[in-house]
Amino acid sequence: MGWRVDNDLQQMLRDSARGYLGDVGGPSHARKVRAQPDGFDAAAWAQMGEQGWTGVLLPERLGGSDLGLEPALTLAEELGRSIAPEPFVSAAVIGASLLGAAHGDRAEALAGELAQGGRSVTLAWQEARGTLGFGNFATRLTNGRLTGTKLHVPAWHSGTGLLVAAASADGPVIAVVNPGTHGVMATAQRLTDGTFCADIVFEQVAVADDAIILSGDAARGALALAIARGTVVLSAQLEGLAGALWHMTSDYMKQRSQFGSRLSDFQALRHRMVDLYAEIELAAASWRAAATAVEAGDLSGVAVHAAKARCSQIAQDMGRWAIQYHGAFGYTDEADVGLFVHAALSWSSWLGNPAAHRRAAVVAHRNGKAGHG
Amino acid sequence: MAEDLNTLSNDAFRLRWREWLHANFPAEWRIPIVHRLSGENERRWHRMTFAAGWRAPGWPKEFGGLGLDLEKQLIINQEMEAHCCARVLDSGAVLLAPVLMKYGTDEQKARYLSAILRGEDLWCQGYSEPNSGSDLASLRTSAVLEGEHFVINGQKIWTTLAAYADRIFVLVRTNKDVKKQAGISFILADMDTPGLTVRPIMNLAGEDELCEIFFDNVRVPAENLVGEIDQGWTVAKALLGDERIANGAPTLPRQSFEMLEQLVEGLGQIEDLGVADRAAVLLCDLHDLAALHSQVADAAIRGEIDNAVLGLMKVLATDLFQRVTDELLRVAGESAGLVEPVGVGGLDMDLRKLFMVARPSTIYAGANEVQRNIVSNMLMGPAAR
Repeated sequence: MGWRVDNDLQQMLRDSARGYLGDVGGPSHARKVRAQPDGFDAAAWAQMGEQGWTGVLLPERLGGSDLGLEPALTLAEELGRSIAPEPFVSAAVIGASLLGAAHGDRAEALAGELAQGGRSVTLAWQEARGTLGFGNFATRLTNGRLTGTKLHVPAWHSGTGLLVAAASADGPVIAVVNPGTHGVMATAQRLTDGTFCADIVFEQVAVADDAIILSGDAARGALALAIARGTVVLSAQLEGLAGALWHMTSDYMKQRSQFGSRLSDFQALRHRMVDLYAEIELAAASWRAAATAVEAGDLSGVAVHAAKARCSQIAQDMGRWAIQYHGAFGYTDEADVGLFVHAALSWSSWLGNPAAHRRAAVVAHRNGKAGHG
Repeated sequence: MAEDLNTLSNDAFRLRWREWLHANFPAEWRIPIVHRLSGENERRWHRMTFAAGWRAPGWPKEFGGLGLDLEKQLIINQEMEAHCCARVLDSGAVLLAPVLMKYGTDEQKARYLSAILRGEDLWCQGYSEPNSGSDLASLRTSAVLEGEHFVINGQKIWTTLAAYADRIFVLVRTNKDVKKQAGISFILADMDTPGLTVRPIMNLAGEDELCEIFFDNVRVPAENLVGEIDQGWTVAKALLGDERIANGAPTLPRQSFEMLEQLVEGLGQIEDLGVADRAAVLLCDLHDLAALHSQVADAAIRGEIDNAVLGLMKVLATDLFQRVTDELLRVAGESAGLVEPVGVGGLDMDLRKLFMVARPSTIYAGANEVQRNIVSNMLMGPAAR
């Protein structure tokens, strides 16, 4: 994956993404979604489905376009630039990775709806906040009954499809669960990007055999790949966000004057902007390296951790300096800067924040050295 | 041998070079970061590589080089880094030769390039002056044409390894009445020319590599002018773009990070969470810089060079080098105050020198503040004054 170089397919996707998001995405769309009671714009999601974005990772047999990770990353960068609150990572990457590996009518039906943009899909897997990866789930599926508690389930809204990761006698399983089923109790909380996450208690929820779409090693492998892909794609989305905020801030500095000079003429501010730009270059290089690693099967090495750490950190840092350089105006809700800063807060903390990923990176590095030494 | 190197796959090339390097690189030179080959040692290295067909990897074959593509040139550097080789400046081959190839007369090329290849001539670069460092174009050392000679008067400073050099390429002012960049010329001089004196300067790392050079009516033949008169600023910029990629390479931060890990292990601090957290930051910085550097190098191989990102990488690489050596001292505790090398895990580690060697990296090759100015002009447009 090369430095700022798109292949033909990526360039086509980027152009169409910029065209579409430029017209109907961006700050006004983000404001609209954060005002909606369930934080989800079904019409926007359907339009992304029509353009093939929601099925970008789904195999063709399930109605997807099976374009692979690189085009998904290009889209993510553009979605990040326009702070799109749509569940691209949770549904089109994590959800699609699981559905694409699964078999059976239930998975096919859900995948078909996802590919069309008729439905979004979310995965309930975390059982503590801020976890990286997964171990043995406390949530259990026993004799067709699901019991346990899942935290921070993203992209939660009334019409979402729900996948649940649980332990069973056959090892880990991924099950399709209808959120309306008796015994499912969800508590939704608004996230800073305008969407909702939910904590969900499952109490003796009936799960039919055909709802178990993955189990054992297949489930474990698909889950690891889905989360690693989600982490890298979210990193690209964060880098896109930071880049857009950098340009927005630079543009503002060129038109705002104080003490008889444009803000963009003050050397101290220019140097800070150069350093922030350098961090954005590092962030893009880092997620590209992580994507290459994930494609090669390295799902938990230094590369993935470094990428999420860097991209999360620069999104937060760029947000802080964007507010500072917009002055008091940057502190108002009217300024769009705040929308980016808010989106960065939830995106950078989801799937592991910078501190957690840096710590994981050094552990992976030391384990790798021990393994090769 | 030069004939077949380009046809080798990169892997085969790497093995070929590694095999030769490991068999021939003198063990006493395997001192990374803090040691640089100079004088007779540098000559010996050039002669060794010349005799074995490894000299001047980036030079075109018509001038006696290997004509290797950028990828293979980078492989040479990577293997030397992995083998913990001392640094080699090679000013003649790296800094002067590209200029001569582009602007030199046939006589100049014939006279100087072959002597560089054979290790007969060592060159130094006379650019900076006491009042012209980062603002190089303000230089004042003058050259006046009198008959068949230029007469040079003035002073150069921070000239690396001048005391060992046979010749110098020097930027001089030949016109005071035009815009400062427009009145500069690029001239070659022998170091033993009467009126030219060298005074080494002891630096904080305990080395006297950097020198002052005084020009007192130094008479240099007029044919030693490279390019046109007053066009020296353009001539000096002919330095191959490829070389600038080296300024952003993660080599020095990576080698010092490996020392940091040895030190942490040797001092039994591996379980210390504070040490681990700080190492984690440096590890991720190193990883991401290496990723950026290799992606930008790939882009350069495809012919896409972005000046802004090259400037940024120089800033990032040198800043990281300093932060790693800072951390070495932090981990070392009171040993950081010792003048002599510290024995850690069977390793003699000269912490003071490592720390000091890292200091000038943010100053030379365009101080990082100047780099930030240049990059900000590219990103945000020129600042109003």
